[in-house]
Amino acid sequence: MSREKKEKKVYQTPAEKRKNIAFNILAVVLCCLFLFPIYWIVVNSFKIDSEIFAKIPTLWPHEFTLKAYGEQFGALGTTLKNSIIIAVGSLVISMVLSVPAAYGLAKYKIKGGKFFILIFLTTQMLPASLVLTPLFLIFSNLELLNTYLAPILSTATISIPFVVLMLRPSFLSISTELVEAAKIDGCGTLRAFFKIVVPISRPAVITAGCFGFVYAWNDLAYSMTFNTAENMRPMTSAIYTFMNQYGTKWNSIMAYGVLLILPCVIIFVTMQKYIVEGLTSGSVKG
Amino acid sequence: MPDSPFQIGGIAVKKREKGRWVGYAFVLPAVIYMLVFIGYPIIYNWVISFQDATAYTLKDAGRAFIGLTNYQTIFADPTFARSIQHTFIYTIGCLIIQFTLGFALAMFFSKKFTLAKPIRGLVVISWMLPVTVTALVFKFMFSQDSGIINTILMNLHIIDEPVGWLLSGGTAMAVLIIANSWVGIPFNMLLLTTGLNNIPLDVYEAASIDGATKKQQFFMITVPLLKPTIMSTLVLGFVLTFKVFDLVYVMTGGGPVDSTEVLSTYSYKLSFQQFQFGQGAAAACVLFVCLFIVALIYLRTISKSEVD
Amino acid sequence: MKKRLVAIMMVMSMTALTLAGCGGGDSASTDDTAAAEEGSEESSADADGKITISFWHYMSTDKEGKFVQEAVDEFNESQDEIYVEAQYLPREELMKQYTIGVVSGELPDVGMVDNPDHNSYAAMGVFEDITDLYEESGDTNFLEGSISSCYYDDKLYGLPWGNNCLGLFYNKQMLDEAGVEVPTTWSELEAACEALTKDGTYGLAISAINNEEGTFQFMPWLLSAGGSVDDLSSAESKEAMSYIKGLVDSGYVSSECVNWTQADAEKQFASGKAAMMINGPWQFSGLAEDAPDLEYAVAQVPKADNGDYASCLGGENIGICTGANVEASWEFISWIMSKDKSAEICKSIGRLSPRSDVDTESLYADEPNWKVFAEIMPNAQSRGPSPSWPELSAAIYNAQQQVITGAKDVDAAMDEAATTIAGLENK
Repeated sequence: MSREKKEKKVYQTPAEKRKNIAFNILAVVLCCLFLFPIYWIVVNSFKIDSEIFAKIPTLWPHEFTLKAYGEQFGALGTTLKNSIIIAVGSLVISMVLSVPAAYGLAKYKIKGGKFFILIFLTTQMLPASLVLTPLFLIFSNLELLNTYLAPILSTATISIPFVVLMLRPSFLSISTELVEAAKIDGCGTLRAFFKIVVPISRPAVITAGCFGFVYAWNDLAYSMTFNTAENMRPMTSAIYTFMNQYGTKWNSIMAYGVLLILPCVIIFVTMQKYIVEGLTSGSVKG
Repeated sequence: MPDSPFQIGGIAVKKREKGRWVGYAFVLPAVIYMLVFIGYPIIYNWVISFQDATAYTLKDAGRAFIGLTNYQTIFADPTFARSIQHTFIYTIGCLIIQFTLGFALAMFFSKKFTLAKPIRGLVVISWMLPVTVTALVFKFMFSQDSGIINTILMNLHIIDEPVGWLLSGGTAMAVLIIANSWVGIPFNMLLLTTGLNNIPLDVYEAASIDGATKKQQFFMITVPLLKPTIMSTLVLGFVLTFKVFDLVYVMTGGGPVDSTEVLSTYSYKLSFQQFQFGQGAAAACVLFVCLFIVALIYLRTISKSEVD
Repeated sequence: MKKRLVAIMMVMSMTALTLAGCGGGDSASTDDTAAAEEGSEESSADADGKITISFWHYMSTDKEGKFVQEAVDEFNESQDEIYVEAQYLPREELMKQYTIGVVSGELPDVGMVDNPDHNSYAAMGVFEDITDLYEESGDTNFLEGSISSCYYDDKLYGLPWGNNCLGLFYNKQMLDEAGVEVPTTWSELEAACEALTKDGTYGLAISAINNEEGTFQFMPWLLSAGGSVDDLSSAESKEAMSYIKGLVDSGYVSSECVNWTQADAEKQFASGKAAMMINGPWQFSGLAEDAPDLEYAVAQVPKADNGDYASCLGGENIGICTGANVEASWEFISWIMSKDKSAEICKSIGRLSPRSDVDTESLYADEPNWKVFAEIMPNAQSRGPSPSWPELSAAIYNAQQQVITGAKDVDAAMDEAATTIAGLENK
């Protein structure tokens, strides 16, 4: 890529060196400003009540405490379990369906292929609020409300189109000869898919899995609407309910927030490079 | 029956013939899934919007069709008109902020310096976080009595006394836009960065040899060459912003009173707080029409620059 | 060729799986559904042959809820026929569950309901008619004002659980330091607020949130001014609203009160961010926990300068839900509402017993704050009863929100609320 040429030029003259330092400082400052909300979530989760209610907020807790994590979270175990079940269930459905679909769209010239891509592009843009009412009525008739299935099935619809669109370009780049060669060696299509295609694109597939998990983990609209019983709620709707009751207990709210963002942050930090790439290809192009 | 190794040239042809079945088998499950869980509900949503669907008729097999009554009811409700207005104000406000700042950041991070790439990657994290938590932390930061924003602004003597940001309509909308931009800026930046990277460097080099200033280079080269990316960023941004739900629902709940009510929260409240499913569906259909028009524009834009 | 066929079949079976998914009850999904049902609160006989009864309440887990659980545990241990499973849901959530539960059939066996809403849910069919059970039980010693909210169309749909009302809590130390007497009238309250409002401390904390709590808190002002729910456009009603607006505009009450629940108001008072608050006796336990050293006392909500003291009767009822195991549920509610139990539970959760045979005076002889509430109670007015109370209430708290946030002026907001309420009553 054209960038490569550029990299070599860095640090040539003292002027450029100074510029490099200045830009780096500016970038770090911008970054700190930008990430401040995340810092604010974490730091406030360690404060005691009186510090939260103090007139002047403190940038660092005077008294470091884990109390906010212990309090109010009687049902934390349940909501955490629910969040995990919903996110993993949704992840499984979306991977089982969208990885083959992305491959099929990339490697097989099928009639209506373009139309299918269009379907994914359009459905990706449609918000949950469009289908909440009909899905609620449908799930209600199927007696699926307040089961794990309702949020699992519905959140999978968020990640499927994204994953298909994100994986298709990386499958396009796999050489057809490689797959054909494997088939010649006696591999069936499906085996070739699992033995050759998936391993070659492992980073992309894992990234896709991360998105599948995160989309369901982050969901509020579907879970809140379909699972109203307290013991079936995931963490997102539990924190919302908690806020409605104790809107000013910010330390407890933020403690819950830390637990909610934790998996996203872990996934992001370990997979940053792939995620940033995946985000671009999954959102824009087919 | 394995293909003969000597027929390499024929493989593509064969694949197209024999492969069709396999191709469909790979693709169709996901397509069917989306049609069942998104396509069908959207159609069903239109049906409900013409029905007398409330909590009382939830389990009735044959709900009465009441024509346009649901639409008449919501169109007569002043909150509905206001929520459409708010949705547009919110969307356009977000687009302006996140696009300009996203563009500025994309330009900045395309400069050559050591930390450009790592930091550009790092800020994307805001896009990964649950919107629920984003909404909560902004609500906290902008709260009147214990919010950090008021403290900072008062120390800078920009304001004299704490402002109740989320307690009056105009400022509440502004805070919503800021919170959404926090998520939107890195996203816009990423898309625009991809576009910027695709502009060959020699174009700039040639231009600077010809004596073009930086400003001229920006408007004469960057913007025109980036036009397809800009278009799809804006349209995609519009769609993703227009459908806002979680952020508004958690931060303001549409309030104070109804000053930040948007179409999706309005529809949600009708369906799930008042249990007027028919009216909620009707409001959702209006949202659908708005999105559909923009989605069409989007699809036309990308189909020009896109796909084999 | 064979392998290819297998491949196709496998992919096809994925499709089948998908379709099974939307069939819900089909094989692929039964595990999930079954797992979910284990957790849900169906009344059933468990392995020991005990009948399980679900009891939904909104006594929050960290405060009153633990006393409710203690009482339930005691009931469970006292006999071996019935097992009660108590579950907490936030009030708004519980109300939603009732509405949706009528049609979906997902109702608990025994449920708690805010007394002004009882009529509305009885009309909707959430609760069983227990008139006969009640009359046959021979124990009908409930206060007239309390049990009347359980009647709809002359039939009884539940029993009163506990009563409460609003009073003025004040921080003794802050009042002493400012040299302020406990305010008894609106002008005195304003003067007190002026003296008490300082950097970081508001004179008064109230809840003006957009739910029933906001309406509940507005009632004492409305009633004391001589206004009424049926006539919100009257000068008296508007005067009450103007008064609240004035307190907020002068900075005596935080404008955040439109987002505060009564629990939030308590947190403000406990942390010293408000010198006084309007709240009820159910906050005693929370205050003891949040601020054990805080010296506070309770007085009547100040009255309009030319009006009388007024308070609003609050409280909960419990009823047996439609489709529940009526005998077992009645067994439970008649136990928990019996004379001794009622007195005990009500005291620990900060309610006054709705029973006429509980001797309040001797029960609270040593507790001056309680005595104040016991004195306020007889004059506290109830809300409703009206089957459309939830809508009525929405009109009131919306008006209050519009006025405090400045979205509408008092006249416009109150006239609009009056029109809405008139429309509801004509229905």
